[in-house]
Amino acid sequence: MSTTAVKIRAPIDWTGIVFAVVLTLVIVAPLLVVGTWAFTNVWRFPSVIPQEFGLKFWYQTLARADVWSSITMSLTLATTVTVLSAVICLPAAYAFARLDFPGRDILFFSFLAGHAFPKFGLLVAIAGIFLQLNLIGTFWGVVLIQLVGTLLFMIWIPVAAFQSVDRKMEEAARDVGASPFRVFWSITLPQAGPTIAAAILLSFVGTFYETEGAWLIGAPQVRTLPVLMISFINNQPVIQYGAVLSVLLWVPSFIALLFARRVVNSGSFAKGFGA
Amino acid sequence: MTSTEAGALAPAPTQRKRPIGLLLVAVPVLLVLWLIIWPIISAVIQTLWLPTPDGGRTFSAESYEFFVSDPYSRANLAITLWTTGVCAVLLLVICLPIALYLRFSNSKIAAYVQGLAIFPMFVPSIILSFAFIRVLGPNGTVDLLLNSVGLPKIKSPYLTPWGPVIGLVWDNIPLTVLILLSGLGNVSNQAIEAARDVGAGRFALLWHIILPRISNSILVAISFAVLGIFSAFTLPYVLGPAAPEMMGPFMQRTFRDLFDPTNAITQAVITFGFCIVFGLFYVRSVAKNRTP
Repeated sequence: MSTTAVKIRAPIDWTGIVFAVVLTLVIVAPLLVVGTWAFTNVWRFPSVIPQEFGLKFWYQTLARADVWSSITMSLTLATTVTVLSAVICLPAAYAFARLDFPGRDILFFSFLAGHAFPKFGLLVAIAGIFLQLNLIGTFWGVVLIQLVGTLLFMIWIPVAAFQSVDRKMEEAARDVGASPFRVFWSITLPQAGPTIAAAILLSFVGTFYETEGAWLIGAPQVRTLPVLMISFINNQPVIQYGAVLSVLLWVPSFIALLFARRVVNSGSFAKGFGA
Repeated sequence: MTSTEAGALAPAPTQRKRPIGLLLVAVPVLLVLWLIIWPIISAVIQTLWLPTPDGGRTFSAESYEFFVSDPYSRANLAITLWTTGVCAVLLLVICLPIALYLRFSNSKIAAYVQGLAIFPMFVPSIILSFAFIRVLGPNGTVDLLLNSVGLPKIKSPYLTPWGPVIGLVWDNIPLTVLILLSGLGNVSNQAIEAARDVGAGRFALLWHIILPRISNSILVAISFAVLGIFSAFTLPYVLGPAAPEMMGPFMQRTFRDLFDPTNAITQAVITFGFCIVFGLFYVRSVAKNRTP
């Protein structure tokens, strides 16, 4: 038997091991520390591990009125922005993909305008406009500023989705007498649907975590979860509140991670960022 | 998603120009005009034509002169330039080796490394800030571990200029790696092997074969990072020193706490000025990828 076991062993990938260890320490370990803090009742210096694990601070954090009001605020805001964005962007994406009209190219690329400027500077310039319109500190002011942030993704990704739909199937359906609406509903939408759903999910998650516009335009009247988290970091002596809130706050990102990993790893994603 | 790159704006199939399309795109286009183009134009106008006591407006560079003559504003601009420069260099030094490794390795470990390098994309910067303080802050995990083996505590980077640097680099690793990796996809294996055959060493290979082919990707990655870092707000606000502060927190404080929109908008226009080259280059690269 021993003579058959001549295996060609791949050399050990030392470079890879070094990268894996360093990145695990730098990227995963800090998040594990936060996760540990969230399930800790007592952890006093200089003990390396917590003195007492438990859910005590989950009950206390979830009993706080400011936590619930900001969860509600964040979900309401993200839903409002995503629905509005879908309502105005999806028909526009369909038009860009399928119709010809004057100025089509330049209008398509106009959505890039916001990305040529440093974001917070642009937000301050917009805030200057909102000041004259009394939109500072209002719900709709924050909705508008976050809506602008979703436009590029909500138009460019669905345009690609509509363009990838098989035109021959649409024409065949029309040949046998289907109405344009029927064709759209039964042929176009099911094919473009998954990509459009991904765009909607990304814009919901992106809006949920949008901090800078919410802080500049909305605070202190409009307090979203990330904004509450900033004040916990700055003013809250009980470490566990921030840790529990971090875990809660990470849930939408985790959902996005499950759905979006394939998209992110594909080459076209990096190309979308100009690579 | 693979179709994304295949000519986004290929000619539309209909032959005649139908203005109904304009109607469908009107709302988002008007939003861009109202909330991006107009604020930028208005910011420049507002800061150059200042109100006079008699109610009119007159051309004046006063608010810019104030910025230039104010030592505190200048210190803030300097710390912003320093942070952006240090982050850009660190990002290249960290991400280029990772991207090179990922491009030329096909071991199982490479998949794990790629997963880790992309993971920060799914961690909101506010959670990152909290994790940073718990690990590197006073009595954080690093202090705990050092203390347990009898070593002195570290000099914490929290609330020093290095705080935002560490946070911003962490935050920007995924896209930098992805952009560089995408550029390395254009380096053919034949070119590498040909160079190896004539005896090129690792360094010569990198310098003469790989770097010239990915120089554009490097510029795109740097432009993207500079645009994000120059006016970053959350990480410098939470992790950085109170004074001098980076332009992001500085603008926010001038606008909301000092109720001084004119000076805040002046600061914004100055950040536009410093980033315009990177911005135009970046947008041009994105646009080029969308047209066949």
